[in-house]
Amino acid sequence: MLYRTAGQFKTSYHADHALFPVRQDAWLLGVILVCAFVVIPAVASEFAINALLIPVLIYALAALGLNILTGYAGQLSLGTGAFMGVGAYACYKIITIFPDLNLVVAIALSGFFSAAVGVAFGLPSLRIKGFYLAIATLAAQFFLVWLFEKWSWLYNYNASGAIQVANVDMFGITVAGPNAAPVTQYYFVLGVVAVVTWFAINITRGRIGRVWKSVRDMDIAAELVGIDLMKAKLSAFAVSSYIVGIAGALFVFLWRGAAEPNLFDIPLSFRVLFIAIIGGLGSIMGNYLGAILIVALPVMLGTLPGAFGLTIASATVEHLNVMIIGALIIFFLIVEPHGLARLWAIIREKLIMWPFPH
Amino acid sequence: MRLFGKLAIASAIAVAGAAIALPASAEDSVKLPNLSYRTGPFAATGIPLMNGQRDYMLMLNERDGGINGVKLGYEECETGYNTEKGVECYEKMKAEGAIVTQPWSTGITLQVLPKSNVDKIPILAPGYGFSAMQDGKTFQWAFNPPASYWDGASMILNSIADGNLDNLKGKKVAFLHLDHPFGKEPIPLLEALAAKHGFTLLPIPVGLKEMQNQSAQWLQIRRERPDFVVMWGWGAMNAGAITEAVKTKYPMNQFVGIWWSGLDGDLKLVGDAGKGYRSLSWSLPNSESKIMKDIKQLVVEPGHSLINRDAGEFEWVFYQRGVMISLMLAEGVKTAQDHFDAKVINAEQLRWGLENLKLDDARLKELGADGMLPPFSTSCSNHTGHSGAWMLEWDGTKFVQASDLLQADRAAIDPIAEKAAKEYADANQPWPVNGECK
Repeated sequence: MLYRTAGQFKTSYHADHALFPVRQDAWLLGVILVCAFVVIPAVASEFAINALLIPVLIYALAALGLNILTGYAGQLSLGTGAFMGVGAYACYKIITIFPDLNLVVAIALSGFFSAAVGVAFGLPSLRIKGFYLAIATLAAQFFLVWLFEKWSWLYNYNASGAIQVANVDMFGITVAGPNAAPVTQYYFVLGVVAVVTWFAINITRGRIGRVWKSVRDMDIAAELVGIDLMKAKLSAFAVSSYIVGIAGALFVFLWRGAAEPNLFDIPLSFRVLFIAIIGGLGSIMGNYLGAILIVALPVMLGTLPGAFGLTIASATVEHLNVMIIGALIIFFLIVEPHGLARLWAIIREKLIMWPFPH
Repeated sequence: MRLFGKLAIASAIAVAGAAIALPASAEDSVKLPNLSYRTGPFAATGIPLMNGQRDYMLMLNERDGGINGVKLGYEECETGYNTEKGVECYEKMKAEGAIVTQPWSTGITLQVLPKSNVDKIPILAPGYGFSAMQDGKTFQWAFNPPASYWDGASMILNSIADGNLDNLKGKKVAFLHLDHPFGKEPIPLLEALAAKHGFTLLPIPVGLKEMQNQSAQWLQIRRERPDFVVMWGWGAMNAGAITEAVKTKYPMNQFVGIWWSGLDGDLKLVGDAGKGYRSLSWSLPNSESKIMKDIKQLVVEPGHSLINRDAGEFEWVFYQRGVMISLMLAEGVKTAQDHFDAKVINAEQLRWGLENLKLDDARLKELGADGMLPPFSTSCSNHTGHSGAWMLEWDGTKFVQASDLLQADRAAIDPIAEKAAKEYADANQPWPVNGECK
């Protein structure tokens, strides 16, 4: 009913390949964007913005970066956390060296550092594949975290070895640091995430995206039809690491406010990888769904007992939380092994046929 | 599938609804949250401390109905020592009207500290956090009574040098520490003292992943044969280090830990072999004191406490230190109530209370905790109090007092602390400094 496609005729190939073949999809996206840009900032509490919305957006962005590499180009990576770290430290150094630089420019520049590091650690992908490549990227994880700890120049010789975000102004408004208003930070993150997502949708639907997909599906065949594997794989590493690096810079500058090296250790990589897998590899929207499940749901579950007036010890809630999220992950993967994005696709198909399924 | 779908939608709506609705707090109580870590790699150290903090607050509510008729809303928010959970808990507690933040992890302190000026909620970090927080003019909202890490490092050196650091000339002191902001904290002071008094400092970091397996570090200690090993350990690292020290037969009387490295449970693992191990402590356990008897009678006996009674947790240094931490906070609340003639105080009033703590011998006796804390007082320029501390020694079954009250070398610490505070303020411009405080 809501998804009735009757009357929406496609009369050209161009129309058939449009981003939104069904008009309702465009409306749905419009509603979501209006919600994200207008409704949510107006009603959300400071807690909701800082503990739910901003982290979901940042994690979704990091997962998007990983998804381009793993989901679209088929190169498994376990170094996401470290690449986020490169972005964060690069942004920190850029901001301390050029304090007057616009934060957007600094974040955009810091992505190039992580892209360069990503390409360097992506070189083994030209010879090794699958799990072996995952192990090679794991080396990046260990090496880079070690570097963040030992190279004091990176954290300006701070005694505690951590980086801290000072107040950063942009056009007279404080956007990062302790004085920044949460709503400002939300809009900043939302803006960056929206632009990068738009870019990612276009790149994955275009020529480069198709090249990546062909490499993912069968690299020998791709090579035989004339695709340069080296270019394809390294460009995937570069674009992916660029996005991941931006996510890392946002992670520290717009959300955490401070970071110590071990923040970027393997648990972060796994977390992002889980978001990408549960959301759905090879999908853009899946990253957002995955981030909501993995990042936002535990926070919401944590507030449940209090909202119902139950007094459960906080540690018990935490244990329950871990169990519930674990069970949900297994549940969703059994119901739909291809992730939440696929689940949504199935629901959408059913909605289109509803109420008269065959 | 269809049922699953409906269930999923129903629960999603319930969860979303719950996240928006935040419960209101009762009128006659003050909210004193604690960012606890009863889970995760540091839980072993955390649980007895949290239990002590909780039980003292419960006891006050039970015995006196709170403070001046205001119930103490002690509430835990579990972080598992995870900085990400820390942000979440901080925001949650702030939204619910918390008047204090007890961050526990150094990483969480780092995140919360800059916000304290904006949100105007005092941070209470007894015996941890930045040592530079002693400078109350710069860190107006942060408190780390009764002693800072730099105080601790100085006291340990004084103790092993028999009161005169020049005795350490030509000796080698290994500094076994967690490779984490917490463990790195005393290094600047130790380096300065080593240069001044001519001893060799050998920093040996233990990575977070190597906490339970420190064979490499102890191999280095065996090779280097330091005269003393000073440990800055936390959680699982302490047990790992102590068992390795026993295994490598390092003389226990040359092995000294900071106050967080003195968990009874860790030493119980080695028992007699750990005899002679010393740990600095700004709290002395005394189960016969009035305060502990009250807790036993009103909280532990009726079964309200979460402590492990079979393990004898009640007697532990850490449990009773948790009690002392809550005692300082409760005293801050009371001081603020008396000064502002208010019952339900707000965060700014509590800040005043914490800034004007006066826990002298008479007051500690009145509270029934005489001898359990060294007397100290705070002021607007001194947010630490610098109480000094005692050395505790493991006698095979428990920790016993092994020294008189030690004091830190103020002349060595204060200039470094002042410099560090200034650096911090400069790096975080605009940073308000309390100009009224002389």
